Amino acid sequence: MSAHTVDSSSLTETDVRLSATTSKGMGIAAAAGVVGLIAAFALGGAQGDKWKSFLLAYHTAYIYFISLSLGALFFVIIQHLVKAGWSVVVRRLAEIIAANIPLMALLFLPTAIFAFQAPYDLFIWLDLEKQKTDHLIHAKHAYLNQGFFIVRLLIYFGAWSALSWFFLSTSLKQDQSGDPKLTLLMKNVSAPAILVFGLTITFFAFDMLMSLNPHWFSTIFGVCFFAGSAMGFFALLALFARRVQKGGQLKNVVTPEHYHDIGKLLFAFVFFWGYVNFSQFMLIWYANIPEETIYYQHRAVGGWFAIGMLLLFGHFLIPFVGLLSRYAKRIPQILCFWGVWLLIAHYFDILYLVKPNFEMNGERYVSLGLLDIACLLGIGGLYVANLLRMAAKHPLVPVKDPRLDESLAFHNI
Amino acid sequence: MHDAVMTNHTAAKAPTLYGVVAEYDTEQKLLEASRQVRDAGYTRWDTHTPYPVHGLDEAMGNPQPVLPFVVFGAGLTGTLVALGLQTFTNAIDYQFVVSGKPLVSLPANIPIVFELTVLFSALTAFGGMLAFNGLPMLYHPLFNLPRFARATADRFFIAIEAADPKYDVKNTRKLLSATNPSALEDCYDPQDGKIPFAFYVPGVIAACFALIPPAIVYKMRNTRSPDPKIHLVLDMDFQNKYKAQSSSAFFADGKTSRPQVGGTVARGQLHDANEHLHTGKIDGKWATTFPFEVTEERMKRGQERFGIYCAACHGYSGKGDGMVARRADQLMADKKESDWVAPTNLNNESVAKQTHGELYNTATHGIRNMAGYASQISDEDRWNIILYVRALQRSNNAREKDVPPEELAKLTAQEFTITNGPGLHQRPEATPAAAPAK
Repeated sequence: MSAHTVDSSSLTETDVRLSATTSKGMGIAAAAGVVGLIAAFALGGAQGDKWKSFLLAYHTAYIYFISLSLGALFFVIIQHLVKAGWSVVVRRLAEIIAANIPLMALLFLPTAIFAFQAPYDLFIWLDLEKQKTDHLIHAKHAYLNQGFFIVRLLIYFGAWSALSWFFLSTSLKQDQSGDPKLTLLMKNVSAPAILVFGLTITFFAFDMLMSLNPHWFSTIFGVCFFAGSAMGFFALLALFARRVQKGGQLKNVVTPEHYHDIGKLLFAFVFFWGYVNFSQFMLIWYANIPEETIYYQHRAVGGWFAIGMLLLFGHFLIPFVGLLSRYAKRIPQILCFWGVWLLIAHYFDILYLVKPNFEMNGERYVSLGLLDIACLLGIGGLYVANLLRMAAKHPLVPVKDPRLDESLAFHNI
Repeated sequence: MHDAVMTNHTAAKAPTLYGVVAEYDTEQKLLEASRQVRDAGYTRWDTHTPYPVHGLDEAMGNPQPVLPFVVFGAGLTGTLVALGLQTFTNAIDYQFVVSGKPLVSLPANIPIVFELTVLFSALTAFGGMLAFNGLPMLYHPLFNLPRFARATADRFFIAIEAADPKYDVKNTRKLLSATNPSALEDCYDPQDGKIPFAFYVPGVIAACFALIPPAIVYKMRNTRSPDPKIHLVLDMDFQNKYKAQSSSAFFADGKTSRPQVGGTVARGQLHDANEHLHTGKIDGKWATTFPFEVTEERMKRGQERFGIYCAACHGYSGKGDGMVARRADQLMADKKESDWVAPTNLNNESVAKQTHGELYNTATHGIRNMAGYASQISDEDRWNIILYVRALQRSNNAREKDVPPEELAKLTAQEFTITNGPGLHQRPEATPAAAPAK
């Protein structure tokens, strides 16, 4: 128990406003983003494969970053839904991460431009020829066609943008008025919101990742994507909170107690990710039906097998043991170590979901190079810059939230 | 304090002092007092509260519990036990192939590994918690204090034991009274912490009775008995039906199995007068024609039925290289089998020169090591199979003139590579891993 617990009335401006040094990072991130994107386009065009490598690299990085925001949106909705008290001090950070979705909607344009034209390298089912000749793609063409796909994308981005905007703006309104009715409003919206979230993230995963191999399907696929997204978010949240604290803000606001809870959730989703992915694997392995095993066949050769093992140990077993101890979760340095580790592991998870579906030059091999780094830098730079931009504009905690005192005084047993 | 068994010792001795007990009415007072006791260096003392008080472990200066590490060890044990159990039972003690998977299949083992890890961890956490707390505790001296009953309601207690090295009758009391308790009293232990003798008697009796089930199990496993087994759970063990080989009190000959009723024919067994169709003979001589008009449909049916019933041994080409034959050849090469007669190559002269009726007869009644298929394949289908066998024989002895012109043109236009397959009883090489002795 800390001897110096803070009271919400004693929070000062320096406590809750992003410092200038952290804001400077915004400029660097934005610059890195622009440079990265230019480099990505340049490298992609120079490949001479009609933008196929570019699409794969860009799509992987894109899904990686939007999954973090989706995890954030999930967290915000759930915290309102269960009337959580502990998380108020970190909820604004999560709202900001979730509010990056409109930017990600915009950043989908390069994918849309290159994937929606011949030779349809990314979404092969867009090819009208295949819709006629390929038996399975034909059977699914009522769902997998360009028009319906675009409509669904608009629904996803629309719903998520609306929800993230709603929760952030209502929370900001409460910063001014402190009106508890706004908390009740957000709680009431969170119930239908979580239903909408569950459906949209599932079908988003089907559309963006599962349809990359339109001959294959798995009903647990949406859950696997969700588990990874939530895990990635908790890793990011720990790092974000710590970065802000290093800049001098939220010094006694986010305590080891909060890091402990973030760590518990991170640990839980590391395990949950392993659990659902193993479920998917075991059922397909056991039934041994070629129509289903093709997914793992592609991931059982050469480099992809190694990546799979890397995920088994690096994304699941080792972080599981590493995050078991309560001290790993209560000491911010250790938690952030695992945060960085798991953010890297999450990228390899997305890579493993996207790239093995495709052959490059007639072969399936692990391709990871400058183009991927450029895409990560490009999208990531803009992502981080926007995060910092929003963080600089608003208080870093919901200063007049009725549960803020409870959150500040929060103790784990 | 009255005992069921009173001895001279307990009646004569004065009750010993267990310690001093302080009572508080708020948790804050308890926390503050605990810090004082901790800082004063006492080690044998405890607090008693109606609910878990946050920060109390720290205020008491309690060491980190060992239980988490014990639970981790138990979980690891569970993992290893699960892996060991499945490997031993499925891959060592009684090798059993399940669903064509390897004997040691890690993915299939994982659910049980996961379950036992969690089970061992959870049971150890529960049992370990009880053990480290000394529970179940049949008796504690504090229950001699009437006021202590409020420990589960609305009061908080500190009890410092007289056995503590720092315990001093005056100073310990002084320390506690300075912490503003609502009550402060000494606690005496009339029992000296000993369990009365009477408690041991039921325990010993129960232990004796507990030996009976293992004794029964041991007897059952090491003796034979002519008695039928004991049905503890009846399930559907005794049914009102007759089983084929059992005796019957109803029929004169005492048998349950009855011969076919005279003058009747079972369904599907009524053979019309068509001797040709049913026996393959015409006027007692082997038929050289088919008992029906040969059609494309019959040929297709024959091909399908051949693939189902005959190809396993005779192979799809009829050459005698079916999977059963190939496996047997491999076992012979590995010296794991010594007793195998290969299925006949249906293209042999000896088979080709037989009449349709003779082939039909073989399919019906079997020949040498081959069983008859009359019970499995209908008469018509057996003829269809023979039709297909004839087609196979012809195809294996085909000449250019037998090929339709369009097909011939296509074939001559293409290039072919001829490879040698393992068929035709070429004795395969013994697999390297096979042991020479059976």
